[in-house]
Amino acid sequence: MSEDWMLWGLFILLGLVTTLPRASFIVLGERAALPETLHRALRYAPAAALAAIVAPDIFVSGGELTVFSPRLAAAVAAVLAALLSRNPWLPFIAGMGVLWGIGQLIPT
Amino acid sequence: MSPSFRDGMQEGFHSFLPLSVGLIPWALVTGLTMAGVGFTPLQAMGMNVIVFAGTAQLGTLPLIAAGTPVWLIVITAFVLNLRFIIFSAAIARGFRGVPLGARWLSGHLLTDGAFAACLEKMLSHPDPHWRLGYYLGPSLWSWLLWQVFAFCGVMAASSIPRGWSLEFMATIALIVLLVPMARVRPMLVAALAGGGLAVALRGMPLRLGVIVAIVGGIAAGFAAERWCGRDRP
Repeated sequence: MSEDWMLWGLFILLGLVTTLPRASFIVLGERAALPETLHRALRYAPAAALAAIVAPDIFVSGGELTVFSPRLAAAVAAVLAALLSRNPWLPFIAGMGVLWGIGQLIPT
Repeated sequence: MSPSFRDGMQEGFHSFLPLSVGLIPWALVTGLTMAGVGFTPLQAMGMNVIVFAGTAQLGTLPLIAAGTPVWLIVITAFVLNLRFIIFSAAIARGFRGVPLGARWLSGHLLTDGAFAACLEKMLSHPDPHWRLGYYLGPSLWSWLLWQVFAFCGVMAASSIPRGWSLEFMATIALIVLLVPMARVRPMLVAALAGGGLAVALRGMPLRLGVIVAIVGGIAAGFAAERWCGRDRP
């Protein structure tokens, strides 16, 4: 993605796949309705997609499955912070703190 | 601008103002992450204005950094945005009597926060001018906060050393979004299946494993809902 024009093209495509779902029923109004089964299935899309993006970032490094890594420790710290506190900054402070802390202890 | 539009806008803005503070860390993190994957300030703010969606931006940045094919990045963003179809359908009745141009603007500005804050009044207030004002007040305010604080994040990133793996902030941000969802059993099943499949299928060509994992996760969540019927989100 080094080419600048490709990046701008990508932004426009991403803008389209964001605005079209958002505007869909607001623009269509009373003329359309979502089938009940589809409505229920769609609720699981964000959780499935977020996990599918996050999990390889945490458990895979260099194409290999790594069960223990600084990234996993940082992710665990972020999950605990998100579960135990309502402070919106804490998961970032905890996660990045653990990642940097381990980086200092074990120079790579 | 009719007086009832202005009244609605004021009331919407006042009720949303305290909630809107929660947007600030997200905008900062998104700005930091966009700079972290190597965007110039112009590219970062271009993405921020054109896409205007924290989850879709943070979710696609790791894929962009990894050199994933464009069509796969676009499909992933679309899946992350599928929840907006549900929001759009739920709030649509609040826009009856509103002109088409204002509906497109309102659609573009639909965010999780504006939806949650405005839904009830949008469905109950009788005056369309008041309703549009009540919706646009918080939505335009969110847009402004999002742009200003993302810009602060982009600018702050240049004073942070390169070796600090700022791009991992995107992963943390996605975890923070995932944690409250996973409190509901079928949603947790969807996340575990999606995450597990994505790791297991990482060898698939063109990173197709991500898409298969998402579809598998949705199916697993839906199946889990059928099995343990009472525990519905």
